[in-house]
Parts: sequence; structure tokens; C-alpha cells
Amino acid sequence: MYIEVDNANTFIATGGKPFDPSLPTVVLLHGSGTDHRGWALQARWFAFHGYSVFAPDFPAHSLSGGEALTSIESMGAWLIRALDEAKVTKVHLIGHSQGFLVALEAASLLGDRLKSVMALATASAIPVNPALVEMAQTNPTAAAEMMLQWGFGNQSQYGASAVPGMQPIGIGARIMANNPLATDLSACNAYTQGAQRAQKLASTGCPSCVILAEKDRMTPKKEGLKLAQDLNTQAQVVKEMGHMLPMEAPKESLYFMKKFIQSVEK
Amino acid sequence: MSKSSFLGADTIALHSGYQPESDHGSRAVPIYQTTSYVFDSVDEASALFNVEQGGHIYSRITNPTVAVLEQRLAALEGGAGAICTASGMSALFVSFFSLCSAGDHIVSASQIYGSTATLLKHSLKRFNIDCTFVDINDQKAVSGAIQDNTKLVFCESIGNPGLDVSNLPAIAETAHAKGIPLVVDATFATPFLNNPIEHGADVVVHSVTKWIGGHGAAVGGVVIDGGNFDWLKSGRFPTLTEPYEPFHGMNFWEEFGPAALAMRIRCESMRDIGAAMTPHNAFLLLQGLETLSLRMQQHVSNAQAMVTWLQKHDAVKWVNHPDIDANSHTKLLFPKGAGSMLTFGVKGGRDAGAAFIDALQLSSNLANVGDSRTLVLHPGSTTHSRLSEADLVSAGISADLIRVSVGIETLKDIQADFNLGLRAAAKVVANQAEV
Repeated sequence: MYIEVDNANTFIATGGKPFDPSLPTVVLLHGSGTDHRGWALQARWFAFHGYSVFAPDFPAHSLSGGEALTSIESMGAWLIRALDEAKVTKVHLIGHSQGFLVALEAASLLGDRLKSVMALATASAIPVNPALVEMAQTNPTAAAEMMLQWGFGNQSQYGASAVPGMQPIGIGARIMANNPLATDLSACNAYTQGAQRAQKLASTGCPSCVILAEKDRMTPKKEGLKLAQDLNTQAQVVKEMGHMLPMEAPKESLYFMKKFIQSVEK
Repeated sequence: MSKSSFLGADTIALHSGYQPESDHGSRAVPIYQTTSYVFDSVDEASALFNVEQGGHIYSRITNPTVAVLEQRLAALEGGAGAICTASGMSALFVSFFSLCSAGDHIVSASQIYGSTATLLKHSLKRFNIDCTFVDINDQKAVSGAIQDNTKLVFCESIGNPGLDVSNLPAIAETAHAKGIPLVVDATFATPFLNNPIEHGADVVVHSVTKWIGGHGAAVGGVVIDGGNFDWLKSGRFPTLTEPYEPFHGMNFWEEFGPAALAMRIRCESMRDIGAAMTPHNAFLLLQGLETLSLRMQQHVSNAQAMVTWLQKHDAVKWVNHPDIDANSHTKLLFPKGAGSMLTFGVKGGRDAGAAFIDALQLSSNLANVGDSRTLVLHPGSTTHSRLSEADLVSAGISADLIRVSVGIETLKDIQADFNLGLRAAAKVVANQAEV
């Protein structure tokens, strides 16, 4: 569906079903330079199993208009305005990589609308090598390729695909080619209050869950374990997979996602 | 990179899409000779049917052995995804079927494979899909033929049997300027010689029966979704950008983006038409693909040597191969050589040509190309026999044209065989002179 946020046409994937704000809403937040399609399969499962799905393309990403947001804080605030526009009342925030940093910021603003947070392949801080940021500014295609090479695990590099016949690296390359990667990476690099936000969230008793990828070279597992500590929760590790967990291992990530969300909703 | 893989082409051909699985460690890709797949639970079955998770349901739709070939070919061509089909013709059909509906229109190169011409001119017309044939390298003609209801521009990267090389960057620019995708049949080029997506194509089709298989033992086709075309911006493709009722209103573009066309073909064409590749054929074609680059080097080398040899032969009237006096776009698109197909005419016309073919012993007279063995054919009386005189001229087929798919045999043996044929042809000429 499309909604108007900050006077910009904004695309929200709803998992193939009409959006119903009265249902518990699973908010799926994409990572740097990507879009809602990273959640294509998981979104459909939630939409067809009693939840509403709210998976936005952030401003200037893929199907959304507007200007790219330059900080994680502004992305968190934007998300609240988008949720308000859609009249969402009960929110489970699930973020991949940069998407979870946004989730931490949004969580601090949601109050009692927030039901849970879930992190996939991420950390409380995502420092980005300045050379990569510069490359994303001057040669975004090369930067995207570098991220895809580092981001996808070994099996995907050898052409494995959870969806028969598809090429996740090829799909990722197309999506990232036209999105504001440099702005996203700069925003990640500048964000420093993730650990603090996570600890504060833990102190509220908000249910949380962390899913990590064993072969993650972009947000290494050890950093994800620190995040789990900050959130005062256990981390689950998906073996052999790389940073692009939602695309590389949709079945495994969905298993953990639905198990967690269902446990919170019980 | 190929835009889908960081591996080199030779490595992709050997490894992509399959790593030895943990149960048995089979190094070769196993043949999953099964119609169907046991579901772990009712919930899992439901998730698979509703595209909430990837996996296999029924081998008409997907099969693990076929999927390896699909992922390997998608990686080789730099696409977002691929769908293998029962034949090259079914690959073309599902491409057209997925992009066009009744009342739509296609612009096609006039110099194309005879069966494809028949599909476009006659079979699709029964479903009210029209086609205008043009000189594909005349961009004014291509642009002028595009109508409000045109859904695609189609060409072969190397035309069959005229061997004209399509100027893919120019055609893509013309098509894209009008919001139309370019669909390219790249069978004669193979992924080793040219990758059309790099040059602007949006969809690539191969008959994998040909050089990709190479052994002549299995028929198959593939559609590769380039993933670059913005179906929504074009505004012409409701099959991809509007809800698809049979899948609970699935919007392929919104949900799958760069893989929208591949997913539509998977969900609709493979289900409704069922032109599926068999797992055994996929296995055989994978064996061929593994050595494609090595074979293509020999194919091209032999073809170029045969061109030179035929040009010097007294019994030969003319020889055609794209590398002869190659134009700039041929040089750009085919730096490793423009394939291993050549055509030629012998002195003495059709009768001498028939004598040439009938006298051959090593080369095979048959309706196929791309086999590792040398193949010959007289298109005017076989593959293109259903075309009218005017269409034959338009397709660049003269009555004396002999089509040769140069194999990878030892060069001197091919030449010795052709000498037998050319001597027989010369006798016909001598007899004609006596009469």
C-alpha cells in the first residue's frame, strides 16, 4: 500500500493482504541500501497468519519517494510518523542490520504501543569503514558489490538460493543499485547510542530477541552477542549464514521470528 | 562480476547452485527423479503453496536438479533468476505469455528461427497477439513499429540462419525509450560469447539443447529474468504490477521486484502450461554446461578456420559468418568471435547444395545446431520451409543456402568431409554445363 508521510508517497509492503491496523502489527525494517523485498517471504507468512505487516521502503528507497534521511534518529522519528499515518496501535519491531538501529530509536518513542523488538544480523553499533562510505558516494555500484560480496555467506556466493531458480546476489545488486547507500552507511557510522538505547529498553522489560548469522562479516557475531547482553536476552545463531540473513535463510529466520512473536502474543 | 555472482564464468559453470550436500557428499549434482516432495507438516505445505517459504512442491513447478541448472544459468548471464523449460520454444512461449495478453503487440526481428517466426506470426495471432517484423538493426523501423499496445521487442543476438548480429545496445535504447523491454534469444551466442543483459537486454532466452548441452542428448530451454526493467514505471505490464487473483492478489513487482517476471512465470506458466524440464534432462544439460567454455573455444576456432577454407574453395559461391568484415557492433558484442554457425552457397544452386549435403559422411544432415559434432542443413526445405518466398527473402534465406553448425572435431577431418560434398556439388555443376 502507499501512504503519505512528510508529503511523500511512501510504499509499505503488507505481505500480500490488505493492511488492518486493528491486528497486532509486525514492522519489518530493511537494512542499508535495500528495501522491503528482503522480507518478501516472511512478510507473507505473517500477513496470512493473523498479523498485519508493515514493511516500509524508507524515503528515497525503491518504491518510496521523498528525500533520504541522514541519521538513524531521523529514521526512527519518521517511522513513528508513518505508523501514526497508518493508525498502527500494537507494534512488534523487527529490524535487519541498520533496520534494527532504527528499531531501537523508534522503540524509545513508541511508549506502550511497543510489544517487542527483534534483531536480525546486527549489533548496537555498525561502524562503517570510511573508504566504503566514500566509495558509496563516488561509485555506488562498486560499493554495493563490495557489500554483497561481504554480506552474503559462502553458500550464496556459490549460487545457493532458498527460492529455487533465483539468484539472491543478483536481486540484491539490482535493489541496491538505485538506493541511497552512501547516506544509509553514513547514518549507521554516525550512530553511537545503540547500546544505551538497548540497555534502557531492557530495563522496561520489553520482550526482545536476537538472531545472528554465524558467518556474518559485516556485523560480526561477537558484536551481536554484546547487543543481546545489552537487551538482556539470549541470542540464537543460524549456522553457516552471512549478514544477509533474511534473504539467505528466510526459512530459518522466519522460524525464529514467528516463534518469538507468537510467544509474545500468547 | 556477472552482477549475480563474484565467481568467474568457468567456476560458475562448474559450481554455482550446488555444493555437496551433507547426507551423502555427492560431488556431482544428484538427479532428483521425483514428481513430488514430502511436507514436514500441513503448516509447511500451506507455507510453500502460499509462497511464504521457498522449496519444492511438485516437479512441474520446481525440481532440485533443475533448480541447479537455473541458478547456474542465471549466474552466468548475470540475471536475477531463471526458469528452465521443456524446450527453447516453450521458453519463448512462456516469456511472451507472461508479458502479453489478448490485444497486445510484439515487434520482432524479421531474421529469426523459423518456428519462432511461426509462433509470432500465426500461433499467437490466434490469441489476438499481433507481431510486426522489422529489420532489427534499423532503429527508425523498430521505433516506428512500436505501438501503444506493444509489450516487447524481440530479436536473436545472432539471427538464425541469416547470422546477422543484432545491435543490442541500440535496440535496447530504442525499446527502453518507449518503455518496452528487450527480449533476446541468445542461443547462437551462448553465455560464453556474449551476455545480452550487459548490453541492455531485459530478458534472455536460450535453447539449452544446443551448445550449452553440446551432446545433442537432451532438449531444454531457459528464460533468464535480467531484473533491470522497471515494470511499474513502464505502465504497460498489469501481469506484473497488478494483483494476481490466483495467488491471493499477489503483486509480483511489489513483492519480488527484480525477480518479478521469473516469479510470474514460475507461479503461472509452470503451473498452467507445465512445460517443465525433466530432472534427467537437467542433469545431462549440466554435464554439458560444465565444459561450455572449453568447447566454445574449439567451436569458434574451427568455424573461423572453415570460413577461410571455404572462401578459398573453387566450388563455393559465397560464405557468410558474422566475423567476415565484421561491423563495429559485432566486434563490440563478440570479442571472442561471433559463434560457430556459418552459411554458404555452392556453385550450381539448390541441386548442387543437395548433392553436397547427401555426399557428406562425417557431418550430419539434421535439424539441430550446437551439437559438438558438425551439423548441416538446407533451411529452405526444412526449418524455414513453411515461410513464403517473400518471408524467406526477408529472413535472408536464399535457395542455395546451406547452414553449418561447425563442431569440435579435428579440423582436417571436417575439411576432408566437406571436400567430399564439394566434389559432388562440382559434378552437378559439370552435368548442368553438359546439358
